[in-house]
Amino acid sequence: MATSSHGKDVRISQGAVVCMDCKLEGPITVGPRTVIHPKACITAEGGPIIIGENNIFEEQCVIKHKLDGETKGRPQTLNIGSNNVFEVGCIVLSKAIGDNNIFEAKSFVGPDVEVGHGCIIGAGVSLQLPEKLPDNVIVTGSQYNRTIAADRPPPQTLQLDFLTKVLPNYHHLRRPKDRPNVL
Amino acid sequence: MEHLPSAEAKMKKNRCFTCFDCPNCFHTLSVRATTRSLDDSQPKTSSKHYYLACFFCRWTTRDVGIPDQVAATGNWPVKENPHQELLTSFLDHYKIVAMRERSEKEKKPFVLRRGYTSYTEKFGLTNMIARKRAGLPSLPLAGKDINPANLPAITPCVASETVEPLSDTFFTEPPDLTKITTISQRHANPMLQAVSTSGLHPQHRHFYIKRSLRCRSCEHNVSKPEYNPGSIKFKIQLAAYYHMPEIRVMTFEPLMAGRSCEIILKLTNPTLHLTSLQFSPPAKNNKGGSVEVVSGDPPKKSIDVPQPVVVEGVNSKIELPICPVVLPPRDDAAEYDDTGDTHNFQDDPKIVVWRKGNKAAVKFIITPDDGLQPGTDVIFSFALEYGYVNTMQTVEVKQPQRAEMQVNVFIAPGKILGAIEE
Repeated sequence: MATSSHGKDVRISQGAVVCMDCKLEGPITVGPRTVIHPKACITAEGGPIIIGENNIFEEQCVIKHKLDGETKGRPQTLNIGSNNVFEVGCIVLSKAIGDNNIFEAKSFVGPDVEVGHGCIIGAGVSLQLPEKLPDNVIVTGSQYNRTIAADRPPPQTLQLDFLTKVLPNYHHLRRPKDRPNVL
Repeated sequence: MEHLPSAEAKMKKNRCFTCFDCPNCFHTLSVRATTRSLDDSQPKTSSKHYYLACFFCRWTTRDVGIPDQVAATGNWPVKENPHQELLTSFLDHYKIVAMRERSEKEKKPFVLRRGYTSYTEKFGLTNMIARKRAGLPSLPLAGKDINPANLPAITPCVASETVEPLSDTFFTEPPDLTKITTISQRHANPMLQAVSTSGLHPQHRHFYIKRSLRCRSCEHNVSKPEYNPGSIKFKIQLAAYYHMPEIRVMTFEPLMAGRSCEIILKLTNPTLHLTSLQFSPPAKNNKGGSVEVVSGDPPKKSIDVPQPVVVEGVNSKIELPICPVVLPPRDDAAEYDDTGDTHNFQDDPKIVVWRKGNKAAVKFIITPDDGLQPGTDVIFSFALEYGYVNTMQTVEVKQPQRAEMQVNVFIAPGKILGAIEE
């Protein structure tokens, strides 16, 4: 348990796969069937993070919920929707994340970006200016070209099934705590 | 990648008939499959459907309404050029004009010679030459009439005065950049030039070809332009890469003006002979050796760019290792040998920090000159002496020859980060 740094306020739902070797700091709720790989890092400094269902947090991804200057230190909740994929090495500091988003490898999303639903942030894309991403937007390439897809990317059901089966074979997991469902 | 003779490639208009380019980001499209039941009433009769998707920008053929295909190889619909007919009529016309001009040119030298027909039987002139002499078109044209009157009719293009007016909202509504194609997207498909992204259509992939490269001094072909990817070897294996010790920058400390910093270079012996390296201050008039420039990023710049690299002023002092460094010969099998090195080199650990097989990492200490502004490129140089065994057999010398070579090496590891604070 040397590397496990999660306190008592991390709540893991039934069916979630959270590896021991990841870093969860602050009040974090992990939804059912969400997979958190080893070496992922989720920090809730500015308030609790509530993670929905069927999300995948890959290795070396960093999700940070920082204190916001505007709220004068009042804690704000960061809601992460369902079916999101945070690929290897992405850094997401966003204040709101919807459903079915894909943050590709090494992408960066700044703290003033609101991510809607079905957005795809391509590999290496860095979004730093304050904006609200429209639904189904795809940002790719070195020029950060934007297109709007017809529909949301499909949920990674097969990959999730595979990970939930395989990850427990090779990693120690954090068990969901048996305690009544009260906040 | 395909093996193709150039003639066949030309026939296919230099495009691959199985691969497609993404019209959005120009990457190659991949085929994706989905299983979908044909009818809701019969859930068991499912069939596979295929569509093309770009894994990079997530563009799919479904985005532009191209129907899914039943076969993976797909008979993907290809949008025809709207001006195809006009263009082919032009092409046919000018082909015939060109042929007529050529046959007229061929006719002229033979005008003076008359009365050849009597010889035809005697010398057995072929039909072909006889036709030529007679000023008749050679066989390929035989079926076609080159009479000027019988040229295929072409309709000249007419410039029109009336241009479709812009819509009323053009200046009032902000453009939706996500729906409008970029200039490069339009230029990628010059015959369609879709204005909106919904008009984008996948195109057959262009063949890749090796760039032709000739030696600067002897004009031998070093690399031939071929479609065949199986022969990626250089035609002449005399590139310095195979004969000179390779120098790569491994790591270096942050570069500060006026402060010494360690830099570690990785030296590799590519030859099959043991060699010994010595370092000395750069020779001023080194005419025998060539100049190799290894830049920090990208490391193999000198090979990609055939232009001679202009060496700028050296702006750092360097502390060179005094003792020579011995590099064992290259051994391809050693790559897979994990048991460790059998060579016992008495290396000074202060100089050789690491060694494996035919590679060694050597530590240098460089001091960028005082007063260099942050952001300027640091360049240092030294002369590298190495023993080289020439195995090329000549008529006079059958035995391999040993020679001591010396080259000046210029290295630009990076830029000055800042000055030291005092």
